Amino acid sequence: MAEIHLESVTKRFGDVAAVQDIDLVVQDGEFVVLLGPTGAGKTTTLRLIAGLEKPTEGRVLIGGHDAAPRSPAERDVAFVFQQYSLYPHLSVYDNLAFPLRAPVRRQSREDIHKAVERVARMLRIDHKLENRATRLSGGEMQRVAIGRALVRQPSVYLMDEPLSSLDAKLRSELRLELQHIQRDLGATMLYVTHDQIEAMTMATRIGVLDHGRLVQIGTPREIYESPRNTYVATRLGMPAINLLPAGAFAGAAMPPGTTLIGARTEHIVVDRGQGGGPRARVEWIEHLGDQNHLHLVMGDHRLVTLVGADTNLSVGDELQVSLRRPLFFAADGERIAA
Amino acid sequence: MSDFNSIADRAAAATPPAIARKVRGLSDRAIAWLFIAPTIVLLLAINIFPLIWTVYLSFTNYASNRPNRPVVNVGLKWYQDILGSPEIWASMQATAHFVFWTILLQTVIGFGLAYLIDRKFRGHAFWTTVILIPMMLSPAVVGNFWKFLYQPQIGLFNYIVSFFTGIPPSSFEMLGSVTLAPWAIIIVDTWMWTPYVMLICLAGLRSIPDYIHEAAEVDRASRWRQFWSITLPMALPFIMLAVLFRGIENFKMFDMVMLLTGGGPGSTTELASIALKRQAFEAYRTGYSSAFAIILFVVVFGLANVYVKALNKVKQR
Repeated sequence: MAEIHLESVTKRFGDVAAVQDIDLVVQDGEFVVLLGPTGAGKTTTLRLIAGLEKPTEGRVLIGGHDAAPRSPAERDVAFVFQQYSLYPHLSVYDNLAFPLRAPVRRQSREDIHKAVERVARMLRIDHKLENRATRLSGGEMQRVAIGRALVRQPSVYLMDEPLSSLDAKLRSELRLELQHIQRDLGATMLYVTHDQIEAMTMATRIGVLDHGRLVQIGTPREIYESPRNTYVATRLGMPAINLLPAGAFAGAAMPPGTTLIGARTEHIVVDRGQGGGPRARVEWIEHLGDQNHLHLVMGDHRLVTLVGADTNLSVGDELQVSLRRPLFFAADGERIAA
Repeated sequence: MSDFNSIADRAAAATPPAIARKVRGLSDRAIAWLFIAPTIVLLLAINIFPLIWTVYLSFTNYASNRPNRPVVNVGLKWYQDILGSPEIWASMQATAHFVFWTILLQTVIGFGLAYLIDRKFRGHAFWTTVILIPMMLSPAVVGNFWKFLYQPQIGLFNYIVSFFTGIPPSSFEMLGSVTLAPWAIIIVDTWMWTPYVMLICLAGLRSIPDYIHEAAEVDRASRWRQFWSITLPMALPFIMLAVLFRGIENFKMFDMVMLLTGGGPGSTTELASIALKRQAFEAYRTGYSSAFAIILFVVVFGLANVYVKALNKVKQR
C-alpha cells in the first residue's frame, strides 16, 4: 500500500480545464471519497493518478515517487471503471484471473484459482464463473469489475462510481462489503461518487469537487457540519439544506455580513406555539415510512424538513418556525462562523 | 412457402387498417402478396429457374451451339468424367493454391495495415485513402496494367526485383514461367484486395472501446499480451468475415486472371472458373460444364456453410 500526493495538478482538454490546481494527499490506508456532480473532474482525477491521462501541470506521486515516468502498468494501481469494461470475449473466471496472469506476477495456477474463488465468493458471483462476461446482468457485471480490482493487491485502489448501476439493496450491501475489505486490507482507496450516502458512510475523508477545483476536504462530519460554502452545504444532507435570505428571520441573532441562512432539518424547530417568530403553512407531507418530509411555505419561501412518522400535522396547519444554530453564509456564498 | 406466408402476414399486420379499407374487395393479405410478387417473380426468373435448369442440363448431352440435336439423358456420366479428369483436378488445385495464398497474404498484410492505421497518427485519413486506391480500380484495368508491369524487358516489377536482388530483369518472366505464374496472379490479387481486408479489420479494431485497452493496461498486460488476448480475439469475427468474403470472391476469380495469363502458361493458372468457361463457351459442352458448375456450387456452398457456422460460434462468445 502507498499514499498518493497530487501537487497542484491541472489537466486541460483544449480550452476546458477538467481539473484545476488540485492539491490532495491520500494517506496510506485511507479511504478518500471524491464527491461532485457530473463534470466536476472526479473521473479525470482518477485517470491522472492511474496514468491514463498526463497532467498538463503539476505532479502525481505514488508512494513518494514521481509517477510521471511510469506507465499505468508500472504504477501498480487497480481501477474500477464506471462502464465495467469487462473483456467481453472472456468468461467471468478469465476476467477475474486476467490481472493475475500478468507475466510480471508469476503466480501459480493454484494461487490464481484460489484468489479468483475467494473474490467471487465475497462478491457472490461464484456461481457465474463459467458465464461469458456479456451474459450477466448489470449488477453482476459491476461486481465482476470490482472483483477484478480486488483480486490483486495493488498499492492503490481507484474506483469510479462502482456502485452506481446497482439496485438499492445490493448497493448498501456492497457498500458495507467494500468498507470491510478496505479495512481488512489496509488499502489506500480513492473512490469517486455523486452519491452523498456513499460518501458519508464510507469515507475517512471526503473531497468535494466543483468544476475541477477541490473546494473542501475533510472528514464527513466536518464537511457536513462546517461546509466552506453553500456549494458544499448543498452536496450533503437529506432533504437538502434550505437556503433562505437573512431577511426571512429578521429577528434572529446572526453574525454581521450574513445574507443567506442555511437551515438543515436539525436546525429547524416547528411547533404550534403562538410566539413572535415567522410562521409557515404545511403545504405537503411526504410519507417515507419511518419519517415524513414536511414541505412548508413561509411567506415567499419554501422549506423542507423532517418530522417523525407519528406526526399529527396535516396539510394547511399553521406553524411557528424557529432556528437552532443554523449555518450563515456571506453574499459570495462563503460560510461565516457563528 | 410458409416463410413467404409469414412475411405476408407480418406485412399485413404492420399495415394500418385505414389504407387497407380503401382498396375494396382485396384482403390485407392479398395486397401484401401483390407488393412482394414482383420481387419473387424476378428472383424465380433469374436465380431459381437457371439453377434448376442447370441441374437438369447436367444430366443431358445438350450443346448450346447445336440446339437442334436431340437431347439425350446421359445420367451421371458427366459427373463421373469430371471427378476422374486430371485436368479438372489440376484446375481445382490451382484454385485452391490461389485461394489459400491470397487469403493468407491479404489477411496478414491487411490486418497489419489496419493495426498501423488505427493508431491515428497525423494524416492517417489521407493514407487510408491512398491504400484504398487499388480496390477502386476495375479488375480489367488491373489485369492489363500488371501485364505491363510484369513485362520482362520494360516492366517495372522485374526492374524492382532486379534492383533489390541483382537478378537481371530480363532473365525471368513472371507470367511466362510455369513456377512463377501462379505467384504472379497471387501478387496482383493481394495488391488489389488487401485494402478491402484492411477496411474490414479496421472496422473490427475500431469496434473495441478504448476503455477495454485502458483496463488491460491498468491490469498490467504488456502490449504483446494486449494484442494476443484482447485485440486479436475481439477483432476475430471481423477478420473471419473478411476471409469469407475474399474466399468466395476468389473461388470464382475469372476476369483479372483471364486478362493476365489467360490460364497459361500451359494450364498452370487455369483456375476452375477459367476451365469452366473453356468447356462451356469454347468447347460448347453445355451438359458437361453444367455438371462442373454444380460441383463447384456444392463445394463453395458446403465450405461456406461450415465456415459460417464457425463464424457464428466465434461471434456468440
